Amino acid sequence: MIELIATAESIGQARKLLEAGINTLYIGEDEFGLRLPTSFSREEQKELVQLAHEKGNKITVAVNALMHNDRIATVIPYLQFLKEIQVDAITVGDPGVIHLLKQHAIDIPYIYDAQTMVTSANQVNFWAKRGATGAVLARELTRDELELISGQTVVPIEVLVYGATCIHQSKRPLVRNYFNYVGESNVENDRSLFLSEPKKEETHYSIYEDRNGTHIFATNDVNLAAHLETLSQAGLTQWKLDGLFTKGDVFVEMAALFNEARVAIMEGNWSAEYTDHLNERVQQLHPAERALDEGFFVKNPEDIQ
Amino acid sequence: MTTIEKRVITKKPEVLAPAGTLEKLKTAIRYGADAVFIGGNAYGLRSRAGNFTYEQMEEGVEFAKHFNAKVYVAANMVAHEGDAEGAGDFFRTLRDIGIDAVIVSDPALIEICAMEAEGLPIHLSTQASATNYETLNFWKEEGLERVVLAREVSMDEIKEIRQKTDLEIEAFIHGAMCISYSGRCTLSNHMADRDANRGGCTQSCRWKYGLFEIDEAAGRSSMLGGEEEEAFSMSAVDMAMIRSIPDLVENGVDSLKIEGRMKSIHYVSTVANVYRRAIDTYCADPDNYVFNPEWEDELWKVAQRELSSGFYYGVPSEQEQLFGKPRKIPAYSFIGQVLDYDDETKIAVIQQRNNFGIGDQIEFYGPNFSHFEQTIEELWNEKDESIDRAPNAMMTVKMRVSQPVKPFDMMRKQR
Repeated sequence: MIELIATAESIGQARKLLEAGINTLYIGEDEFGLRLPTSFSREEQKELVQLAHEKGNKITVAVNALMHNDRIATVIPYLQFLKEIQVDAITVGDPGVIHLLKQHAIDIPYIYDAQTMVTSANQVNFWAKRGATGAVLARELTRDELELISGQTVVPIEVLVYGATCIHQSKRPLVRNYFNYVGESNVENDRSLFLSEPKKEETHYSIYEDRNGTHIFATNDVNLAAHLETLSQAGLTQWKLDGLFTKGDVFVEMAALFNEARVAIMEGNWSAEYTDHLNERVQQLHPAERALDEGFFVKNPEDIQ
Repeated sequence: MTTIEKRVITKKPEVLAPAGTLEKLKTAIRYGADAVFIGGNAYGLRSRAGNFTYEQMEEGVEFAKHFNAKVYVAANMVAHEGDAEGAGDFFRTLRDIGIDAVIVSDPALIEICAMEAEGLPIHLSTQASATNYETLNFWKEEGLERVVLAREVSMDEIKEIRQKTDLEIEAFIHGAMCISYSGRCTLSNHMADRDANRGGCTQSCRWKYGLFEIDEAAGRSSMLGGEEEEAFSMSAVDMAMIRSIPDLVENGVDSLKIEGRMKSIHYVSTVANVYRRAIDTYCADPDNYVFNPEWEDELWKVAQRELSSGFYYGVPSEQEQLFGKPRKIPAYSFIGQVLDYDDETKIAVIQQRNNFGIGDQIEFYGPNFSHFEQTIEELWNEKDESIDRAPNAMMTVKMRVSQPVKPFDMMRKQR
């Protein structure tokens, strides 16, 4: 069974995503979750859980931030709230939160998500032994590595099939610091800025700041549409779509495409022509100012030193 | 009449210095480090730093024991499939050699070490970004002995962490810093096909970047500012916590870590020497402690960038990042090391490490913060022939010194 997981930016979009075939909505609030399209209020989170559960779908909430002491105090009532509204799972990247779940006997399934740090089956199994019901793999893994990992983990693992890849998180306000340095401290710090590498002007790494610090994303967003059957055959059947930079109905349409692909695989209609067609439609839908590639999936592990 | 007893701190924090080679290990310990951290031939994050063979580790451990010092091995890579092969043997060998602890971030490696090398203490690496007391409590239950805090933790947070956990706390006090949460950066992976968490970091954060917005119709528009269009950069200045020794000690930090396994013996001797002196001074009489500006002057002699206090007293601003033209640092070069000294003739035998000669104003320094300056007036080569300069790397020369020196004292001069 292939599970489609997608971020949601509004209740309206969440409803449409579920109609488009998404199984699990991935939501949260900025204080505890990293790089979300929207920071939902507690009331909205409650409503989203009801919405998902009405149709037999699920909600996973991001509690994957690196917590400093002040948030340890505030995350306890939040975890209790999430238990109360019966979210299906949370993502966690800070072992302190795992300790709190145990200490306060808050029984919510957690998916281990420490971003760049989750790179082997033994790591996933380490967290599984400590109660994790799943894990989110680092984006820097090749196809060979993913296949090896998939065969050895004792819990399901999630792979990004569409969306932006964070490659850097700093606690420093790097954008604000830059504009302060050049004396333009009134520049609006939204999510529309990009960096380019020296001597590679064509590159475009998204960069923005929020309460968790500064985040930088890979120059191209990930699109594994052409490899969905490979993933499925390798047992990698939890597919995440990240709509951080793909907004509104476009992201809903994107979700519908991946749902259609899932159906094609399940019904045995996956073919080379279909893949080409699918890929073409993904490319057309994708925001024009961004670009797509297949990330580390198509790299050779030997080429990475 | 009552006498108030002078307060003395007997449980001093450890000065932990980097050691990329056996020579650096010995230097760090001679210059006052209580412990050093080194790399093995595998599982570390400095694939290009000098790493130790098992034989070198044995020699290092033996040397350290003589000085009552400890040796830790960094095995802090984030392993991919296949990378952890042989790790059990590796950890067992380290334990049997007498290594005092390993510094690890990957939970799979932690598990292997705990299961296969029982008795070898494990320290959580800063790569794991431990930022709160509950994380320390989690790792305590896993049997870890110490956590190296993330560099993003403030002094107030350390104080609270100390109150809420009894795990040993190690904190960085000096050296270069990641601009990101350590471990949460894969710029090198994406920009250069080098895995930052497996020893391949290319320091891409220190590059000069373009900054722009994209408008669907108009295309790209640069957002770079400044009169000469300053490039965007994420390069951090370095850390020096020499002014904050009282805070570090009083807040209960157990180990004060100096960064820089790639750095020279000039750096490691100077920095270890300074912090040794400052900590001893504070702990001997904390209530009458006065910060000595000479300590900071000394650190500047081996600085490569400007110095700051990182996140300890607030989130770093643009002042703690490197923009504009780089300043000319460091100001001193390491020119020689004392091999021998004759008290009768006041003649020192020096191993040359950089070009120097007659007329140069030089400085000698040694363990226990000993220092003096003099001008070189006479110089002889190995055949006792008078020479003007010592131009050859590692050549042995003799000179008359104005104050007694000891083997392993160092000689430097201003650039």
